[in-house]
Amino acid sequence: MDERSIVHLNVADFAVAVERVVDPRCKGRPVLIAPEGAVRASVFDMSDEAFERGVRKGMALRCAKRLCPDAYVVPPHPERYERAMHELCKRALPYSPLVERTDSNGHVFIDTTGTSRLFGPAYDIAWRIRKAVRTELGFDPIWSVAPNKLVAKVATRLVKPRGEYIIEAGEEEAFLEPVPTRLLPGLEAEDLARLGEVGLFKVADLRAWTLQQLETMFPGRGRFLYETARGIDASPVLPFGRRRPVVTREYDFCGDTNEPVALEAALYVLAENIGAALRAQRLVARRLWLFVDYSDGTRLVGQTPLERATANDVLLFDAARRRAERLWRRRVRIRHLRLTADRLGFPHSQMGLFQDLEGSRERWEALMDALDALRERFGSGAVRVGRTLL
Amino acid sequence: MEKARDSKRSLQTARILVGTSGYSYTEWVTAGVYAPGTKPGQMLGSYAAMFPVTEVTHTWYQMPKADAVERLRRQVPAEFLFSALLTRTLTHEVDRGQWRREVARYRDGIAPLLQTRQLVAVLAQFGEDFDRSLEHRQYLAALLDELAGMPLAVEFRHDSWVHGRVSAELERRKVTLVSVDAPPLPGFFPSLSVVTNPELFYVRFHGRNAPGWRSGSLVQQCTYDYRDEELQEWIDDRILSMAERARCGVVFFTNHPFGHAVRNARRLGELLATAGVVEKRRWMSAASFT
Repeated sequence: MDERSIVHLNVADFAVAVERVVDPRCKGRPVLIAPEGAVRASVFDMSDEAFERGVRKGMALRCAKRLCPDAYVVPPHPERYERAMHELCKRALPYSPLVERTDSNGHVFIDTTGTSRLFGPAYDIAWRIRKAVRTELGFDPIWSVAPNKLVAKVATRLVKPRGEYIIEAGEEEAFLEPVPTRLLPGLEAEDLARLGEVGLFKVADLRAWTLQQLETMFPGRGRFLYETARGIDASPVLPFGRRRPVVTREYDFCGDTNEPVALEAALYVLAENIGAALRAQRLVARRLWLFVDYSDGTRLVGQTPLERATANDVLLFDAARRRAERLWRRRVRIRHLRLTADRLGFPHSQMGLFQDLEGSRERWEALMDALDALRERFGSGAVRVGRTLL
Repeated sequence: MEKARDSKRSLQTARILVGTSGYSYTEWVTAGVYAPGTKPGQMLGSYAAMFPVTEVTHTWYQMPKADAVERLRRQVPAEFLFSALLTRTLTHEVDRGQWRREVARYRDGIAPLLQTRQLVAVLAQFGEDFDRSLEHRQYLAALLDELAGMPLAVEFRHDSWVHGRVSAELERRKVTLVSVDAPPLPGFFPSLSVVTNPELFYVRFHGRNAPGWRSGSLVQQCTYDYRDEELQEWIDDRILSMAERARCGVVFFTNHPFGHAVRNARRLGELLATAGVVEKRRWMSAASFT
């Protein structure tokens, strides 16, 4: 099999870039994307000039305007960003059917493996796509070419806000060595804090640790850190139009709250809904993401791998609560929770080695089946768990 | 033929190096240039076992970075030479407010090759829309001033640059005017054998695929396989006479699709050796390519 060749396009500050094409008043000045009329509006995106003055995503608009009083404020237009993303992908599709976009944030991965006899080297393809995007859409995307998505993404982060980077297969480790760990995708603030505590600021520092040492120091994250530091990433670029399957549920509090009982109740409802959705599709999840939106506009995001792939409400809730405990530390009320389950797959049919644990698992599954049957027959509110009755 | 024999006598010390434009093409593995399983990161090492010089093309796409260039340099023997394309932000996509800063970045990036004397030339290749207008002349003069001190070669694609004052000015600056073999298209810079720099002459074989040249596809543009007669004609009519007027010469083939560039470069090397102009080089014994 050929070495993979992945092109990554990244339109920096995508929402601002789209607005600047549509509205000439946004050009040459700091721009904030935020719903200005809302009482407690927060910043959805901002231009590079505003970022340099300290404005950050999720910051309360009032604070952002204090930092950047001459900023031009534009309300978010999700449909515009969605259309622009579609147009961006269309410029890449003539070169490969494997064109994967993330949300409407200006990131596109293109797998050009095996196309060189038709279209030439991957970096020429990247340059041609960028030229078409620039001429026809008015954006100037950063681009990179690398053997996998991880390295390609780090490369575009390195040259932001404009530029390009080409990394040949075999150069991944040398390329990553001097890179600060904060530029590695998939690391959260909490991971970075832990890495900092033990003096791991650069990828080269991280690489000096063995897998065993990393697993001991960073339970559940050791292998991820070990492989990331070596530029190992086998994740495929999905065909255009296919999104990575996820199950997401959201919870809006009637009034902002930081009451642990209310928060846990909401989290249980989310876990319960996700569990039911997974079981209905006969799927299990291997990872959970928790998004916590505070009333001051700050958003904290955390992820947790599930020790065992599951669709069980209680196990999902336990994992989500453990993650939430580390995110609910601010003395600010919470407005909104979102729980997402991903890395979905089919449940293992193989029996476990330890009969005790297996028996308990079977009992849990029987309980879930019984609850699902009752709810299907008598409605979703027919059976409720005590902790959700507030 | 008489002319060729005369030239052979006067070229006892001439040094002509032949190579290809770029070396990292994954299809060259299936074309038999590289051994099966050769990874892109290993291609330069394999290439250096066949040829003494290459054109680094990715410096046109991205600004060279010193650490990456240093890694490149370490993969080849100390006598191996590079010609590096000048970045597109200085030739095709020039930002009038930024370009001097770009030159400084280019100098920094390419420095490892300059330090080790492995940089045979920096090639400023301009597009077909870069004509000999006043604005372009002024920019070119300023660019050459800014790049002074580096071994420079300039390739034009617009025929308005065929002018005595252009070659005279390049001669004054000791900047090499690149000779090209390209499809005979209207308005395209013709094949010349003018030598403007006594240190170096520079030839690029682009192929003669006239229908594909302006197709917008790099593969179609460069797909061409030279016949022996076409290469021999170049040796007799141009290369020998250029070699008489310069201390050293480099010849590159840009027709990379299907490995034609490698096949043609090896054949040109053989023909030059047969003509007694160059010694039999390593590519003569490279058995991996058929």
